[in-house]
Amino acid sequence: MVFVIGGAAQGKIKFVMEHFKPIAIVDGSDCFLSIPQNSACIIHYHLLIKRLMLEKMDTAEFTRKFCSENPNAVIVMNEIGCGIIPLEKNEREWRENVGRCGCIIAEKASIVIRMTCGIPTVIKGQSI
Amino acid sequence: MITLITGGSKCGKSRYAERIFSNIQPEKLYIATMIPYGEEAHTAIERHRKMREGKGFKTIEKYTDIHEILPIESSSVLLECMGNLCANEMFCGNKIIDPTDKILMGVQHLNRMAKEMVIVTNQVGDDGIEYAEETAAYIRVLGEINRRIAEFSDNVIECVYGLPILLKGVLPC
Repeated sequence: MVFVIGGAAQGKIKFVMEHFKPIAIVDGSDCFLSIPQNSACIIHYHLLIKRLMLEKMDTAEFTRKFCSENPNAVIVMNEIGCGIIPLEKNEREWRENVGRCGCIIAEKASIVIRMTCGIPTVIKGQSI
Repeated sequence: MITLITGGSKCGKSRYAERIFSNIQPEKLYIATMIPYGEEAHTAIERHRKMREGKGFKTIEKYTDIHEILPIESSSVLLECMGNLCANEMFCGNKIIDPTDKILMGVQHLNRMAKEMVIVTNQVGDDGIEYAEETAAYIRVLGEINRRIAEFSDNVIECVYGLPILLKGVLPC
């Protein structure tokens, strides 16, 4: 499993397309909320987490299952926790869930890549 | 030679950028893009001015249209900051415009004339806030400008509390 992270508009998806050339892509912003199997790539995982929360689903549990059912997936997720912790409870919980799920994915992934200005930095695993 | 320096706000980007210039002989050109509007801007500008004092910089205030600047050949240029320039270009009229190509043309123009160029920019999309469309557009546009400059830059550095982290090329200092 490969985990690609970074802030908004840092070139994450473009990098994944060019480097990993996934055969199919699941988009977390509008996919089914069931766990896919053996998917090649999922993008906007942070938005999937938000949608799971709306359905009162356990995001950490979902993520653990997702990781075991999709061991070869490239998972793309925005870093969203580098601002002020929001006053609004749902917004706070979203960041918390994204943070926790990010840690779960990063632990299971063999490679973690952080994108900045379109440049990949490998922060876990062998160089790509 | 182009060096792009990025990072969050107040992370020591300017100080590091100026350190690169400390070993460079004049002519050194500082392009200030921040519009001195309001007290905080004045304070920030004053702080940066003090930091540059006695370091041999000639300052040009240019809030938009950097392609109009005519640096002397073989001079060194420090452009600060791309985040301000991008906002100034995007929101100068009633309609939001995408200044990506115009700004990149300006950067290429400066780079053709200057021997050494350092560009300070900003990381702005890491807080997870769903902003209103014009701010969201700003995050997208600045992200693209940063990516495209990074592509043709020799060095790209992320600054963290004044510490330079190398993303591409070599650390100039």
